[in-house]
Amino acid sequence: MTFENSWLFPVIESIHVMGLAAFVGTIVLGDLHTLGAIPDTGQLTRWTHAGLAVMLATGAAMFFSDTARYLHNPAFHVKVALLVLTLVAHFTLRRRGTRFTAILSLILWSSVVLAARAIADFDV
Amino acid sequence: MFNPLLELARLLQDTSVRLDLSQSTWTVPIIGAIHVLAIAWFGGTVFGGSVLVPNSQLRRFRWIGLAILLCTGFLLFWSQPLRLYYSQFFRAKILLLVLITLVACLPARFARFGILVSLLMWAGVILASRGIAYR
Repeated sequence: MTFENSWLFPVIESIHVMGLAAFVGTIVLGDLHTLGAIPDTGQLTRWTHAGLAVMLATGAAMFFSDTARYLHNPAFHVKVALLVLTLVAHFTLRRRGTRFTAILSLILWSSVVLAARAIADFDV
Repeated sequence: MFNPLLELARLLQDTSVRLDLSQSTWTVPIIGAIHVLAIAWFGGTVFGGSVLVPNSQLRRFRWIGLAILLCTGFLLFWSQPLRLYYSQFFRAKILLLVLITLVACLPARFARFGILVSLLMWAGVILASRGIAYR
């Protein structure tokens, strides 16, 4: 399939990054508010969930464009494992809204982003 | 004709730092990772600041993010100045960033217009940035 060689892959990748800015960006704002670093930013949950939906859809599209590439990539394994763990923590632990869960959320989401960025560096 | 951007790219191209950056296995990936992490951390302030009433602490937080993006971005440029100078996507990205800066300087009565246009231009910046990796 010529999918990965066309303009489509970079475009989907870009939309994934826009989703990242909306999704992780608004989570970080919420966590910083919990930590008292910034004032209440109000209801950003809509942006968070819209960002998540965009990321899951574009992420799945990229994965299915070249399953072999991702299944053989160690950084992808780490990313997915961290993502599952972090999503579970996001919808359970983070609801408590304590300082500890806010710091945990910041560390976990940052790790997911770093592992995801490393996929390009671990192509076999 | 004197072209300051091309001169800068040539100047950086001939430095030993450029060699170090482009020959090291992990330096550029790590700087690139910090660059993307900064997008994730501070991308939200674009939404938070656009949708809601701007507040000063959020704005300060946004400036820190912008500073990290500019510093890591400059180092990434330093790792391959001439290739980037001749990349159409890189040129588009810089042009969009200049336009976003200009729109941010518009008087307050154009705020709504400015927010909408700059959100679209930020999307363009991300598209152009991904394009750089390919061409």
